[in-house]
Amino acid sequence: MPVNIIVLFKQIIDIDLLKADPSTGSPLVQNLPLRLETLSKNAIEEAVRIKEKKGGKVYGLCFGTEKASSALKEAYAMGVDEGLIITGYERNDPTRTAKVLAEKIKTIPHDIVMMGNQSAESYTGLLAGKIAKILGEPLLSNAIKVDVEEGKARVVMATESENLTAEAATPLVISVTQEINEPRLPPVMQILQAGKKPINMEATSISGSSEVQVISNLAPKSERKKLVFEDPEKGIPEVSKAIREAIK
Amino acid sequence: MVFSDVDDLGIQINSFLSGTMETDSVTSGKDPYRVAKYCAGNIYALKGRQFPESIAASILELQKKNDYDYIFIGSTAIGRDVAALLSEDLGFEVASEITGFRTEGGRIITRRFFYGGKTVLEESSTAKILTVMPGISEPKSSAKEGTVTEIESPASRITLIGAEDKTSGAVDLEKAGIIVSIGRGIGKQENIEKVNPLVEAVRGELAGSRPICLDYHWLSEDRQVGLSGKKVRPRVYIALGISGQIQHIAGMRGSKTVVAINKDKAAPIFEEADYGIVGDLFQIVPKLVEAIKSGQ
Repeated sequence: MPVNIIVLFKQIIDIDLLKADPSTGSPLVQNLPLRLETLSKNAIEEAVRIKEKKGGKVYGLCFGTEKASSALKEAYAMGVDEGLIITGYERNDPTRTAKVLAEKIKTIPHDIVMMGNQSAESYTGLLAGKIAKILGEPLLSNAIKVDVEEGKARVVMATESENLTAEAATPLVISVTQEINEPRLPPVMQILQAGKKPINMEATSISGSSEVQVISNLAPKSERKKLVFEDPEKGIPEVSKAIREAIK
Repeated sequence: MVFSDVDDLGIQINSFLSGTMETDSVTSGKDPYRVAKYCAGNIYALKGRQFPESIAASILELQKKNDYDYIFIGSTAIGRDVAALLSEDLGFEVASEITGFRTEGGRIITRRFFYGGKTVLEESSTAKILTVMPGISEPKSSAKEGTVTEIESPASRITLIGAEDKTSGAVDLEKAGIIVSIGRGIGKQENIEKVNPLVEAVRGELAGSRPICLDYHWLSEDRQVGLSGKKVRPRVYIALGISGQIQHIAGMRGSKTVVAINKDKAAPIFEEADYGIVGDLFQIVPKLVEAIKSGQ
């Protein structure tokens, strides 16, 4: 039985390269390269693996800006069949993002909506629940394993203390963790072919209503002593002294 | 109202709020009677093992009945989903993963990490649902004990097939005074025993970075320190072979003294350390144990 999956992905700035202005603590986000968000890759990988096993189609959906075409190309290279970028993204606003994506998802027949459980940059972890609620579909979240059978999906959900195996009927929403798989690095051939696929874009007409005001967004100041010894013979007595004082 | 599926976190949030506001607590954790000793008025115990959907349905009923001003939810895998479902049900905004808050003229000012832990974001909003990062406060018991009411779980579209406990049951990193934490630099699982003498010498707990606990499973998941794991604040945090990715730093930033041993002089962990030694941890650790034991 073929399985049709809508996979949600996001483009973010490369946070590993993010530095803060040493005098003000302001993050220097200008001119940083953009990349496909970490958990989005896990979601794409899982969706493509299910398709490879069961047949069906993977539809990639992104709420972002015009710049997200590179992310969509990467999603194509990983095995996404068809894709759409909804433009008009302004800032981290899970309520608006969920609404924009859910309204589009409603128009696309699917068995599964798949996404990451928490994006690497904003870490809100709200999107899966919000989208499931708007769609009225069951939510199987924080998956470390997904098996799809006729008309249902079985998922191992990781909580802080347990791994729960649970089942629900399709259509449903699944959020995945970083541990679920190792996203593939697409071969050059696939990257070249992906470049020829259409980059579909449409602008959203849904505006944000949240009245969140940012007061500040600064790198926390480190007040550590930073006494680093390159000669262990000198470092060991100092460190030993500090540890002994602390455990007294 | 405070909800958490992890009792310890529910207790932390109740303690954090005590003195600021009256709270009722909802728990799907293991021991509602323990939660009752920590500052909550009414404790609603959700029976059985539940999924976010049924938990949110129960909380929605309580919210309709009692009209709470704020709903604080432990930021756990289940808690975040419950917050999201409730926010759509109630039309309330959510402030996520907060580490602190204050109210100001009908608005709530919250603090949280952003950009994967690289910045602290302070926001003012009208959010009424707040997911709270673990480790924000010490549990404070109260003289008055709350009343526990059990709540049956509503019908669910999700069927539980099985559950596997993955806690070692022996470790509580959030309460540990000394933590020895290992990263990729440990190389292989067999090498972990080489740092045990240090753990014993400092009477500490062993912890690990995300790859050690979640990718390689060399340590149990409840020993993971980081943005996605435990947020710890020991008197001493000893980082061995940990490069110091920002996601890890976000979990140990509250430590009083940080010691780092790493062979890479440029490792970012040294920027977050009070004392650092550049070198091979397998050579340094035995010498350090010797020095600690002999009082040098």
